[in-house]
Amino acid sequence: MAEAIYDAMGSVLTRWTMGSAAAPAAAVWSAELGAEPAEAELRLLALSGQFLGVAVTAEPPELRVLPDIPALALPTVPEALRPLVHRILNAFKETQRKTELLDFLAARGWTTHPAEWMPTANDEDAPDVYAPWRDWAGIAASNCVVRRQAGDRLTADNWEDFWPAARKVALTELRRRDPEVARAVLEAKLASENADVRLPLLSLLATGLSEADIPFLEGIAANDRAPKVKALAASLLARLSRGPTVGEDIAELAGFFSVKMKGLLRRSRVIQFENVKTPAQMHRRAALLESADIASLARALMLTPQELVDAWNWDVDRQADAALVGLVARTGTDSLVAQTAEAASQCNASAFLATLTPRLVPGQRSELAEKVLRTRGFSFDVAKTIAGGTARLENPMTAPAGTALLAALRRDDAKPSDELTELFALGLIASRAAARQALERLNGAGLLQGDPRLDMLRLNAALDDNGAEP
Amino acid sequence: MAIDLKAIEQLATDQSSLKAAAGLAKPAKWSGVGVSYDGALVWGECAGSGANPYRVMADLRDLGNKCTCPSRKFPCKHVLGLLWLKAEAVVPFAPADTPAWVSDWLGRRRAGAGTSKAPPSVAPSAAKDLRAARQTEPEVVEDPKDAARREAAAAKRSEDTERAILDALDALEQWIGDQLRMGLSAFVDDVTARCRRIAARLVDGKAAVLAGRIDELPGRLLALPPGDRPRGAVVELGKLVLLARAFRTTPRDAEIRRAVAASETREAVLTNPQTLRVNARWEVLAEQVQTRRDGLVSQTTWLLSLNNDGPRFAMLLDFFPASVGRRGSVFTPGERFQGELAFYPSRQPLRALLVAREAVEDATSPEWPTPEMVLADTLTSPLLAEPWTIEIPVLLPAGRIALDDAGHPWWRSADGASTLPVAGSAEGLLCGTDLKRTAAIWSGNRLTILAAQTSWGRVSGHG
Repeated sequence: MAEAIYDAMGSVLTRWTMGSAAAPAAAVWSAELGAEPAEAELRLLALSGQFLGVAVTAEPPELRVLPDIPALALPTVPEALRPLVHRILNAFKETQRKTELLDFLAARGWTTHPAEWMPTANDEDAPDVYAPWRDWAGIAASNCVVRRQAGDRLTADNWEDFWPAARKVALTELRRRDPEVARAVLEAKLASENADVRLPLLSLLATGLSEADIPFLEGIAANDRAPKVKALAASLLARLSRGPTVGEDIAELAGFFSVKMKGLLRRSRVIQFENVKTPAQMHRRAALLESADIASLARALMLTPQELVDAWNWDVDRQADAALVGLVARTGTDSLVAQTAEAASQCNASAFLATLTPRLVPGQRSELAEKVLRTRGFSFDVAKTIAGGTARLENPMTAPAGTALLAALRRDDAKPSDELTELFALGLIASRAAARQALERLNGAGLLQGDPRLDMLRLNAALDDNGAEP
Repeated sequence: MAIDLKAIEQLATDQSSLKAAAGLAKPAKWSGVGVSYDGALVWGECAGSGANPYRVMADLRDLGNKCTCPSRKFPCKHVLGLLWLKAEAVVPFAPADTPAWVSDWLGRRRAGAGTSKAPPSVAPSAAKDLRAARQTEPEVVEDPKDAARREAAAAKRSEDTERAILDALDALEQWIGDQLRMGLSAFVDDVTARCRRIAARLVDGKAAVLAGRIDELPGRLLALPPGDRPRGAVVELGKLVLLARAFRTTPRDAEIRRAVAASETREAVLTNPQTLRVNARWEVLAEQVQTRRDGLVSQTTWLLSLNNDGPRFAMLLDFFPASVGRRGSVFTPGERFQGELAFYPSRQPLRALLVAREAVEDATSPEWPTPEMVLADTLTSPLLAEPWTIEIPVLLPAGRIALDDAGHPWWRSADGASTLPVAGSAEGLLCGTDLKRTAAIWSGNRLTILAAQTSWGRVSGHG
């Protein structure tokens, strides 16, 4: 019977779609439809509707099942704290804040629940622990049916077996453990990747950078097809004091600076800025600084890079400060980066610290953040920019920023949305104990316990600290 | 932080609000009453005329307040009632962590909103009197002749309504016949305008619920892939014929009347001896909020009973005017509570009213019940009782989401015996893990996933 109805349905539907009477085509129901044509159409419609309503659409021949979302190396946040994480993630649109929260969770030994947040395949900023999820997202977005099996240790032979994010993490780990082998793998495989992939892979050489990397980097700097990749190789070479030979450009750049002596008893060098009276001169200096490296500039001024940073005259020429910080971040050695960050943190150039901090290790970043909070009276937000999501500062509320925050919250015209940024930053950089103390202080200052501005502090105070020390 | 009755008197916009608040300042109307540890925030849930209780909250520091009811008065009677409960300590306010819905409101509110200053347009506070608000009206003894006259008038009105509905249904059938004659291809192309016209005729004919259904028909039809629309039109129009015929046969049947004309009032459902009352542990599966073409917003909350007596769904349905603005959610998906529901009398009880809700329970146990029937029966048996039904809630057994060539999702049972197309898109966790149980709405040709249980815990679906 059902088959006969199925057979009839084709022509019934065609007739109705075109606008002609369908009852004559449904002989199987002729007894039920009766003889009156208009009534027969309505009855047929009721019967057909019921039939088609329960006849399930046929399954397509090919269905693709995605692989399971893998478990990560760290557990997901405890069930009870998921709503809090969810609310914080939703409260901020900026990717940077999300990344800071993810870094914070990872530093504490936790990851988000996949229902709350998952990275996309291109989320380069997500902490490494999310690499398996990034690869899963890559598989979901591609047409691959089968997941490739990744071995434990990355080699040139099993390069293709790794999905991109896992490969990057494996290469990072290999570089940390055995820099020579990691470079050899890169030498064998880098050329076969496209420029968007080559750039982040090559940047991994910054870890454990040594003289042994020079030939490989020189080859890239000379021959790579992508200008960005070439520039990165050149900047890595510059960190090894293998910048371009001092040429006319460097000599011209050096002409924008002069080294003077100052002080009567304790004579010290100081850099003075020359030839910056016209916009054209400023533009020229900026362009030259863009393509220079710190070692060459120092050499042209007859200084070492360390002496150049020591002699730098901060807070006089903001554009020059920003350019120097950029130059050091791009081409300075790790120790020079730390020295420059220290020097910049002592003056108003702290605003440029964010350029340098990605090259500092978490411990250095925390120390620097602590220092600017105490000595410079900077806001928690600036300290957060320096420290990222991995700091665990003790007693931040006793810093000037804490006093300023309490005063701002107690103002008569304070609004419920005030100080959102500061409270988030405080919640991110405080240690767990400090977060608990801060909550008490803020509640004492009149903030409600349920105030959503305290969400980050509440999460911090409630989250077990199982992670590694920064 | 203390509040006194004088402040409430000042806060009220008029005497009638105060009077209504006095009626609400009774323990039986309230559940989930609490105060923050610092004493600054109070909240509670108050049974209103809708399916859901209203969530009421106030900040005692400046008397800022919020209620999820659709009242245009600010503050509404529920807020005044809550403050009244607090002022007179009618019920104990247990100190507790601030619920998320109160925190969400705090994050959005502006300072001074709802301060204790009365709005300038209202009458001076002397015009509002708490003592008068407390007084109960003396019962008026009605003349038997008046009562008889009133009953006769009501019967006449009911007869007129029935006549008007039957006329409107005649027009509907005529209209359906016309659509078939002019071709479903043209109908699909012009579905919005055509449905609008017949829906207006049905409103005039006092078949308001049916009009609303037809108003939403284009939305459902156009959500289908173009190739499926003629088939979808046959299903939709066929159900309308069945419903019209059912009404003609039994115009006094409450359930059919509910699908055509109007629903019973909350009081009528609660006092009806045939009303099924179920006291169980419930899980909030999902909340669907939809702005309809008739200017109303429908808020549908899907609940699943966790009692171990087979799957039982409940649907709490509220309407409010879109012009009132966004209304706060009453439930959080995943939330569990012990509560009593009263189901509208029906062959397949589904629509319900929340009569009482007890404290929220932890969301870790127990598991959802076991799907009891063969899946094909679960999908079709409700149609035997109510063939015009559009949405059937189902609890699916273990399964998994798979994707077709075009990336459209399908739910497939673990044994591979059943495969059903899923509405919209499915991404992330929903298609990256086994689904132990899936709660969904089956609408004849698409599955809308409400929530699923997985080894990662509970996952929300399309919501």
